[in-house]
Amino acid sequence: MVETVKQPIIKVENLNKKFGDLEVLKEINLDIYPGEVVVIIGSSGSGKSTLLRCLNQLETPTGGKIFLEDKQVNTEETNINKVRQELGMVFQQFNLFPHMTVLENIMVSPVSVAGRPKDEVKQKALELLEMVGMSEKKDQYPLMLSGGQQQRVAIARALAMNPKVMLFDEPTSALDPELIGEVLQVMKKLAKDGMTMVVVTHEMGFAREVADRVCFMDNGYIVMDDSPEKVFSDQHDNDRLHSFLRNIG
Amino acid sequence: MQFDITIVFEYIPFLLEAALLTIEISILAILVSIIVGLIIAFFKISKFRILQKISDFYIEMIRGVPLLVQLYVIYFGLPQIGIEFDAFTASVLGLGFYAASYVAEIFRGSIQAIPFGQMEAARSLGMSYFKAMEKVILPQALRHSLPPLGNQFIITLKNSSLCSVITANELMHSTSRFASVNFAFLEFLLVASVIYFVMTFTISKLVNLMERKLSVGERRSL
Ligand SMILES: Nc1ncnc2c1ncn2[C@@H]1O[C@H](COP(=O)(O)OP(=O)(O)O)[C@@H](O)[C@H]1O
Ligand SMILES: [Mg+2]
Repeated sequence: MVETVKQPIIKVENLNKKFGDLEVLKEINLDIYPGEVVVIIGSSGSGKSTLLRCLNQLETPTGGKIFLEDKQVNTEETNINKVRQELGMVFQQFNLFPHMTVLENIMVSPVSVAGRPKDEVKQKALELLEMVGMSEKKDQYPLMLSGGQQQRVAIARALAMNPKVMLFDEPTSALDPELIGEVLQVMKKLAKDGMTMVVVTHEMGFAREVADRVCFMDNGYIVMDDSPEKVFSDQHDNDRLHSFLRNIG
Repeated sequence: MQFDITIVFEYIPFLLEAALLTIEISILAILVSIIVGLIIAFFKISKFRILQKISDFYIEMIRGVPLLVQLYVIYFGLPQIGIEFDAFTASVLGLGFYAASYVAEIFRGSIQAIPFGQMEAARSLGMSYFKAMEKVILPQALRHSLPPLGNQFIITLKNSSLCSVITANELMHSTSRFASVNFAFLEFLLVASVIYFVMTFTISKLVNLMERKLSVGERRSL
């Protein structure tokens, strides 16, 4: 899919994560290239969230290496706050800040962390709100919005930091079915605009349509990492994947 | 002997002046308790065992000893080792450190009541722990702390009457002085009670008002 010089933007080498005695991630190797959309699927508890959260160090890996471009992320010397500015994250539960308006939610980090001028940030925030279709709600408080609207604001908030990669952890799983479409729509637009995305989702339609690669996780391993055509076909003999896809319908 | 309320009238300006001092002492004490309480609360939620222990020790110790004893220690005890405060300062510190043991738990409770996703979202946007506390966690937590803080303020204001024994010239001190000079305890205590009640009642109404103002937007939709 990507024709330019192949230099991964994220490189994961032999990643391992244990919670106490529980080994949740095992020998994970993953390269993500600029502009790629990588969808991660797998049953509940297979380690998808943990993998995503290791990428931006919300979890500390117990072994292996993670690189963002050529910098190793999981070392003592890394300024993790700087790294996280390059990696936008969207959560299943939106996690908007309820005491701030939509606009304030988007502006708080660019202004107070990145130290960008307020006017410029506001301009950018308004553009992003336009992009996610939330312009007229800019002065509302999050709890007055529907789940789908909140998630679109959360996407805009992450984008306002100008991240190089966007991480999505089941962004539509907490939404009523009729609200899923509007969020996927925004994500498709992002993908089309060339954003590098790592998406954990159960929306197989999205994976089929948008993903460059689909990774299937099972029991802490990435057991398959291939094109959606291959993953969603009969051309492989992974029984676990077949049964997973059957169960998810 | 008979009940004659008119005897109090000429003292009312002095009583009001003393009430003003009561308010001053209470406000400063609650400010002390907010600062100390915030520090103790941060100790308690920090991941360092030793800080948690210090916080536990502070809370247990302060709560386990009567306030009156603590006021005596500060005003009469400490000068023996060369630390001297005037009655006003001793009152503010005594009441403040005492209230801090309750305020700390108020803050800890309301900080921990904020869903963990808030901290994660803030950190994922590149905020440091302290920036996330400042911008995201504390503004929400302080809002939730407001009603219990208001109650703590009222308790502190009432506790300040104890400072009369360390000669702080607040409302209770003046009241007992005027009462004994005139042999009119019931009259002066009645008036003092009314003044205390008006102060606490007003504060409790103000707190309600503030609470409603602050929660605009946040909870209106619920
Ligand atoms: N903070 C944690 N402490 C202990 N165990 C955890 C923690 N987070 C996740 N786990 C465990 O790790 C496994 C993988 O979890 P997760 O990555 O959330 O899976 P998925 O996102 O694929 O559903 C699960 O068994 C889960 O219970
Ligand atoms: Mg998950």
